[in-house]
Amino acid sequence: MSGTHEPGVPQRGVKGVGSDPREQDRDVAEAPGKIWFRDLDEAVIEADRCIQCASCVAACPSDSIGIDEDEGRPTLVKMCTGCSRCWDFCPRSGLRYERHLELAREERALEEPATYAARADGEAAAAGQDGGVVTALLAELIEVGELDGAIVAREREDEPLRGEAFLATSREDLLAAGGSIYTQTMGLGRIEALLAEGDLGSDDPELALVGTPCMIQGATALDRYDHDPADPIALTVALMCTRSFEHGRLLSRLESFDVDPAAVETLDIGEGRLRAVDETGETLLEADVDAFDAAGLRGCDECADFVGDAADISVGNVGSDDGYTTAIVRTETGEAAWTRAATALETTAIDRPTALETLADWNRRRAESILPREFDPEASVGITYDAHREAYDGTDREPEPLNPARVHQYEEWC
Amino acid sequence: MSTALDIVSPSWLEAHRDAESVVVVDVREERDYEELGHLPGAVNVPADRFRDPSSVVDGKLPTADDFAALLSAAGIERDDTVVAYGDDGGALAARFLLTALVYGHEGRLSLLDGGLEAWRDGEDGSLSTDRPSSDPTPYEAKLRADAPIADRETVEAAVEGDAVVVDTRTAAEYEQSRVPGAVHLDWEDLLEEGRLRNEATLEELLAEHGLTPDERIVLYCNTARRLSHTFVALRHLGYEDVSFYEGSLTDWVRAEAPEWDPVELQAQVRHYADNGGFEAMVDDLGEDVLGRLKLIGLYHQKQRGYFMLRTRSPGGILTAEQARTIGEVADEFARAPEEYGGPDQNPVFGDGYLDVTTRQDVQMHWIEIADVAEIWDRYDAVGLSTMQACGNSVRNVVGCPADGLDPAETVDIQPVVERVSQRFLGDRHYANLPRKFKVSVTGCHEDCARSSIQDLGLTPARKDGRDGFVARVGGGLSDGPRVASDIDLFVEPDRVDDLVAAMADLFADHGSYLDTAVNRLRFLVAEFGPEAFREELESYADFAFEEPDETLTTDYRGDHVGVHEQADGRSYAGLNVPTGRMGGDEFAALAALSDELGGGELRLTPNQNVLVPHLTDDGLERLLEDPLLERYSPDPGPFTRGIVTCTGREFCNYGIIETKNRAIRWARELDDWAEAAGIADDHEAIRIHMSGCSASCAQPQLGDFGLRGEVYRDDYDSGRAADLGLGGDLGNDEFIDWLVGKIPIDDVPGVVKATMLAYDADSEPGESFTEWTRRTSNADLREIVTDGPARDPPAIETEVR
Repeated sequence: MSGTHEPGVPQRGVKGVGSDPREQDRDVAEAPGKIWFRDLDEAVIEADRCIQCASCVAACPSDSIGIDEDEGRPTLVKMCTGCSRCWDFCPRSGLRYERHLELAREERALEEPATYAARADGEAAAAGQDGGVVTALLAELIEVGELDGAIVAREREDEPLRGEAFLATSREDLLAAGGSIYTQTMGLGRIEALLAEGDLGSDDPELALVGTPCMIQGATALDRYDHDPADPIALTVALMCTRSFEHGRLLSRLESFDVDPAAVETLDIGEGRLRAVDETGETLLEADVDAFDAAGLRGCDECADFVGDAADISVGNVGSDDGYTTAIVRTETGEAAWTRAATALETTAIDRPTALETLADWNRRRAESILPREFDPEASVGITYDAHREAYDGTDREPEPLNPARVHQYEEWC
Repeated sequence: MSTALDIVSPSWLEAHRDAESVVVVDVREERDYEELGHLPGAVNVPADRFRDPSSVVDGKLPTADDFAALLSAAGIERDDTVVAYGDDGGALAARFLLTALVYGHEGRLSLLDGGLEAWRDGEDGSLSTDRPSSDPTPYEAKLRADAPIADRETVEAAVEGDAVVVDTRTAAEYEQSRVPGAVHLDWEDLLEEGRLRNEATLEELLAEHGLTPDERIVLYCNTARRLSHTFVALRHLGYEDVSFYEGSLTDWVRAEAPEWDPVELQAQVRHYADNGGFEAMVDDLGEDVLGRLKLIGLYHQKQRGYFMLRTRSPGGILTAEQARTIGEVADEFARAPEEYGGPDQNPVFGDGYLDVTTRQDVQMHWIEIADVAEIWDRYDAVGLSTMQACGNSVRNVVGCPADGLDPAETVDIQPVVERVSQRFLGDRHYANLPRKFKVSVTGCHEDCARSSIQDLGLTPARKDGRDGFVARVGGGLSDGPRVASDIDLFVEPDRVDDLVAAMADLFADHGSYLDTAVNRLRFLVAEFGPEAFREELESYADFAFEEPDETLTTDYRGDHVGVHEQADGRSYAGLNVPTGRMGGDEFAALAALSDELGGGELRLTPNQNVLVPHLTDDGLERLLEDPLLERYSPDPGPFTRGIVTCTGREFCNYGIIETKNRAIRWARELDDWAEAAGIADDHEAIRIHMSGCSASCAQPQLGDFGLRGEVYRDDYDSGRAADLGLGGDLGNDEFIDWLVGKIPIDDVPGVVKATMLAYDADSEPGESFTEWTRRTSNADLREIVTDGPARDPPAIETEVR
């Protein structure tokens, strides 16, 4: 069986949930398997399962999906043509991410992925988190001409602790953007715009994409099918992740601990603790990260990809000593980049740390216990709308009716 | 109105919240309420429950019953003091209070100053995640007679000096466009760090804007959210005579804003033709001008800086001079730049070509701003226009292509079509309806202008011996097809333009300017119901409505291809233009032929074909010998004759698949196949309608085979595909059902062949293709369709459920 490519019976009238007035009076039965952005909206975004990876934004061939600035989530900005690509590449709906990871492993992974404890020397170590490896790696690759730039996250100037996607093209840019951001940036959906704004002087730029495992899932899935939006991505770096925060809720949570978000210079999460530090280095808050559950994106609970298995390189702070980053180099592309940047890094090959394995296992168990559908790396990569409904309906993650009041009202039609 | 509406401080609330008659309402999302915590004891009424945007007719208020149910479930009594808060500066909480006010709540209604944040900063500041238990109350809501809701007329009167109109949106929005004479007061100007400014400051601020408590004040914004906060604040300050406009004023704003005036816009764009072209235009007017250019017939192509230009041809009738001008313009200006292939841009047509459309317009591509002034000058000289050819206005009126030619015609529609076309042209108001408005007029008995898919479709009827039309309303295709409803309304030919105006006025008043999902007229018809729609429409018309005695449509005519005798004994030749595309030079040559051999006229048909009318026998003979007719034949093969496509991926931002060349190639190949298979003579036309995406521009719902661009993907591969449906038949008001999704595009011709063979083998004598598809079960059809093509691997699975 071939996933989303599956004929079925036409359905008379309403397919989605709720009562979209468009469907009050349909005189034509819909094609089996037909997907509109609205279906994604209901099954993922309205159902509060969106992980803000922006795969849908990147996948849409007519650029009809944009980013709602206020809510930081995808929204329709132009007419939807019903091509289903947003669904096909969404790790929370049409893309069976565990199958995609399996295919990525089969097709791209080295026989033996290598694990390193690494750190950068000098400035990068101070600017980045836990050893500054990503900063040093990318800066080196840009300077030797392997990359034209990197899509990374940095903190917005106008809003504390809110990340934004940024196209770094120099070591200075990377140093300025160093440090972890715990909200999503939708960077995958902003590549085209960032390239248009930036001045790379290349028609065929080669970029690194740094982001959460889900963002890398979307990017690498688009690449597997040779879809244009993935063309500029020459290297993928996953930041190990158990969940992202929703920005507004994160602030609200910090405030509940009487922490002024604007005073927070850095936010670090490690070993189950969340630590907020101000610009003088004073700790404003140290709390159990579980206390921030309510600020998390609920869709992250369904993810078993803590490590970022689709990426060329994954980095994180689990399993290495303070000041070091654990890096997993997984593909030939990753290996080549790692080798090319070796002079900028201090690296020691290590076994896969037990702590990392433990956390990854825990993460997978959590996902499997929460995921309403079956977790099946052997099944087809595509999940049909019907199959999704069958698994999710009746759970607390079922599709929610679209509320037109919350939908961006676009003015562009054909 | 006696209900108290005010703003209270967190400390007031601390002191009073334990009183039994005080209910605190949290309007945030349920999850925030539950997980982030709320004021202890507060009930949750999320804003998306009491704002109902799904109704097109009634603005944003929920129904009284829905609102009552919400308050009942929240345990609120009608005389309770309600204190509302949120985390958005207070607009949604204010909206809740305003809604309660409108629906007759009797207790005091108070907004918590500063909302949740101010509460947290207060002395108590505690939050809870417990949901208070409350028993449902017998809450009754009823719209109060003196509800402070301003209707459109009130706003209009206010503009005339009857009251002060206040725009509560941002300065940028106000600058962009506004209700004439409106005072600007950003709702957030009343706040400082989230809290209401002190009274002295507010009074000064309001006085500066000319707002004093003795004035009558009308508030508006976009979606009646922000104005709610200002409303509560004004009432808090003792302003008594405050009302608010519930709907959107976008229509009016547009009707007043110069940038939405097609005449002014055209003048502006003309200016840039000689002064910097595209780049200067976009620099000066902003990127969003590209959307507005539709008002004057220009669609921005996906190739930046180039436009599709659509020329109106009311009723599809062009003089030879007009047709020649269009052809010459295409030949001269519809030229592709070198970077897109120049003369080899399109492998079949090169460049310099034009497309005849299903609304009897003519489109051409690669037009640059630098050339539009010259094109419009040439058009003006021969009476052509591109104005309102696109955009949200009364579109090109479709008419019977054989008007005045057909021996069995009841009404000569040309004057009707002309009058409707002229009446709305260049009119700012009618150029900015909620959405496009499509009208067709048929004078013959064969509904050849396709009344069932128009917003307003007119076909011949008779009343008391008078000839006229019967109206059908609310039809259309796009992504939610609907067959137009017969509203049993007879209209005389010289009343048609009045009827169109009445309907456009109704549309502007009731149609949604905001909710893009529901703003075609058919949603209004569906929501009112045809009978109520007719009543409402009558209230807009300046003539009394009558019912027809008899309607005269007997049949449905698919196309006009072939040589036909006219009422006056001469002939017209219906030439097949596969997919509607022909060279500009060819179109000009055809115009010359019509001048030389016919009556100096060309007609365009809704099948993307061309008629040459008024041919004498000798003229006909000479026309048929012309080499041009080898390609544009009056006697084409059945597939070539039936092919209809949209523009497709070649130029359209939305197109998922390329359509024109593919369709022409398929048609030729399928005609050869049909000849070889011995079925070509059994069919006059086999109609494949192929749209590049779901927008229905090629009207796939009407085809024998309807195709709509898609993509498919399996574990290893992805590619272009099409959804397929069978058996559209407008003669019986039958649209296709989408039978199979995502057929890889190269498999489609095989699917067509398999289907035709199955029909050939299975149909009964005299049974048409559409009859056969209706008789055969969808499961059987799907089997035919999916078994056909061999694909390796993975094949399409046939899963009959």
